[in-house]
Amino acid sequence: MDDKAVATPPVAPVTAPSRRVARLQALLTSHDLGVLGVLLALVAFLSLRSDSFLSNQNLANVARNFSWLAVVALGQSMVMIVGGIDLSVGATLALAGLIAAHCMQIGLPVPLATLAGLGVGMAIGWVNGATVARIRLPAFIVTLATMSIVRGIAYGLTSGWTVTGMPEEFLALGQRSVGLGSCSVPLPFVLALAMALLVHLLLSETVLGRYIYALSRGERALRASGVNVVRLKELVYTLCGLLAAMGGLMMTARLGVAAPSAGLGNEVDVVAAVVIGGTSMFGGVGSTLGVLLGAALTQVLYNGLVLMGFSGHWQSVAIGAMILGAVLLDYWRRRR
Amino acid sequence: MEPLLKATGLCLNLGPLPAVRDVSLEIYPGQVVGLAGRSGAGKSALAMLLAGVHVPTQGQLHFAGRPVGWPFDARALGIEVIYQQPAIAENLSIAHNVFLGHEIGWPGRGKWLKVPDRARMEREAARILARLGMSVASLREPAAALSGEQRQLVAIARAMTRPARLIIVDDPMLLLSYPSQQRLLSLVQSWQREQTAVLFASGNVDHLLAVTDRILVLRDGQCVADLQTDGTGREEILAAMVGIADRQQLTPIMWALDSYYRAREQAEKLSQRQALLDRELDARAAAHWQVLDHMADQIDTLDTANAALQDAQRRLLAELEEERKQLAREIHDQVIQDLLAVSYELEEIGARDGTATSLQSELLGIRGSIRDLVDDLRHICRNLRPPTLDSLGLGPALESYTREWAEHSGIAVKLSLDARLKRLPESIELSIFRIVQEALNNVRKHAAATVVEITLQHTSPRTLMLSIADNGCGLGQEFDLAALPTQGHYGLLGISERVALLGGRFKVQNHAPGGTLLQVEIPHPRIEAPGDQG
Repeated sequence: MDDKAVATPPVAPVTAPSRRVARLQALLTSHDLGVLGVLLALVAFLSLRSDSFLSNQNLANVARNFSWLAVVALGQSMVMIVGGIDLSVGATLALAGLIAAHCMQIGLPVPLATLAGLGVGMAIGWVNGATVARIRLPAFIVTLATMSIVRGIAYGLTSGWTVTGMPEEFLALGQRSVGLGSCSVPLPFVLALAMALLVHLLLSETVLGRYIYALSRGERALRASGVNVVRLKELVYTLCGLLAAMGGLMMTARLGVAAPSAGLGNEVDVVAAVVIGGTSMFGGVGSTLGVLLGAALTQVLYNGLVLMGFSGHWQSVAIGAMILGAVLLDYWRRRR
Repeated sequence: MEPLLKATGLCLNLGPLPAVRDVSLEIYPGQVVGLAGRSGAGKSALAMLLAGVHVPTQGQLHFAGRPVGWPFDARALGIEVIYQQPAIAENLSIAHNVFLGHEIGWPGRGKWLKVPDRARMEREAARILARLGMSVASLREPAAALSGEQRQLVAIARAMTRPARLIIVDDPMLLLSYPSQQRLLSLVQSWQREQTAVLFASGNVDHLLAVTDRILVLRDGQCVADLQTDGTGREEILAAMVGIADRQQLTPIMWALDSYYRAREQAEKLSQRQALLDRELDARAAAHWQVLDHMADQIDTLDTANAALQDAQRRLLAELEEERKQLAREIHDQVIQDLLAVSYELEEIGARDGTATSLQSELLGIRGSIRDLVDDLRHICRNLRPPTLDSLGLGPALESYTREWAEHSGIAVKLSLDARLKRLPESIELSIFRIVQEALNNVRKHAAATVVEITLQHTSPRTLMLSIADNGCGLGQEFDLAALPTQGHYGLLGISERVALLGGRFKVQNHAPGGTLLQVEIPHPRIEAPGDQG
């Protein structure tokens, strides 16, 4: 005989350890654990099957590539949490790098050139956000258009040529390593983690973060409560542009070359990292840790495919399949 | 006194249709202004204009002496709005929904970069919601799980987080239950006491009469009446709402509205009572389930005991039969043989020379008695254990038994046996035999019959039907099988018990031509059907 009466458990007073456990649970969702498991399995597989995977050279390479992808994905995840999408991140990344490199070429000091690059990213983001929020056009179409426009500007400004000749102190941003104890960690990796921490604090600890999570299923409530929803959306897209530009600068500094074709098609990688990281395509769900794990998994997968000797053509098949799998998982979870 | 809110010449088009046409109004601090009107009269449109949501095509607005331009953030001016449909952020906790837009946190003046103080918000939200009569398990749960009424209560609570200068209440009653409606009405009165101005739009004239100071009546987007609540009545308001001055035409409308309100109130009360009843029924159903479970347990126990009893009885019967068999054999093999030996000896003694003739005749008499005794003993043996039953089977045993019984009792017996009758398991053959014995015993003792018909037929390859009918006096009017043992009669009961042990059915009744009919149906292992020689 089963119990027919289902008693509601009494509300236990929240003690300090249980609150800590709750925090930990909030930080590490079951999805994050799943992605972490797949990532560890992939790493274990690659370490066994390839001699070069665990070499310092390769790991540093993966970490550098991970860095710019993670930084751009952080911005994308915020946009997706408010129920939008930004397809222009790849183009923004390229243009920001170009502008910064160009400024340096004409002799502007590095901090100023960096700010110029970041400013370009923010401007593009703001245009995206304002169009989506004020005119209420679908984010997909708006950012598809800005992607084309921004990429076109990048080609037009350079006639398709690359820009080089950046000073050492800028290149250090992408190429230097910092010593942490006995191991040396690439600087961009540290920067990416710092950005992730900032974004995490913003999303989880501030009122703004709460609004970002609330927007997709509570726009009317936010409006009725006196929250300026238009400005909120503009801010989120602007932050996304800023982070995309930051990723572009890191990539430019890493390569030492700013190319108008930089980050071509990288929207897909970014969306893959975000979606694999557990951010819902329908908005309202997503975590910073998930984005980091998603970016790491994407990059390790790329690296693994190269190490296993697959041609580059097959990489997009793998990434596309992973996006589809993650989106299906998200869809299935929402239906339950 | 300066009006808190002063609107002049407000016009609003929703789509191609004018929703508000040239409405002007003033609201003073601590005044409750009602907006009456049928649905579609423009109450909501006007309320939303004053809440800064809709932008008018014409008109000016002054709030607290200063001009206000559309669209504006009502809450920034100190205007709280309770909407018809509550606006809830599904992903946020209940507590955060209550404080949405005015979170408590650090730093106090920071807007978006404020870090909310969740514990304090939960405490405060619990306090406000308790005032509204709403209790939830946890205020940390996302608001997505709330019911319609709970959502509206959260939205009302949101308007109570800070002291407001004007509260616009846009007919939120639809989602509220009767007690919550009453609570909201008393809240409006308490706001009034705290010198908060209230604009209360409602389709319910009684609600308006209960709490307002002034009532504006809207019809087709126009303000058609501005009435002091104390100096007016329902009739006047309704007349303005529907635009009929004639009392005679108004009366049926009033009656209809009256009964509508009363019906709604009754429905509310009924649904309340039903909820209470449901709760009570649930509790009772749970108790009933417990009793049923208990009873099922007891029945299980009884079943087990019953099965054990039947088993014991079966064993008892088997032992009894076995003992009878032993006894019959002993009498037959020992006593009868001894008696026959004695008889031979007596014969020998009588045949000796020199035996007196008197003694010879006496011996002859004794030998005759011994033969009678042997006959009696043989009869007893047959009753104890018919030897034909073991050797020849049920049919011959019944034939010989009934023949003998008919001779003894002088009652004619017609025995008809199924041609297909073959050997059956010992227990079944014996039981049927005993049943016939017992039944015939009853016939001789009670029935006063002259003819008994016994039929043994297969009704299916797996069942045997035994029916014994007599033409005697039949059963009494108040025949009760269960009462027989108390009167010292165990025969029929014995039959019914034997049948039950074999898993069969037993029926005794008066039958049409007069007399008693006893029918027994007994299942047995499958016999071959006629013609089925496989």
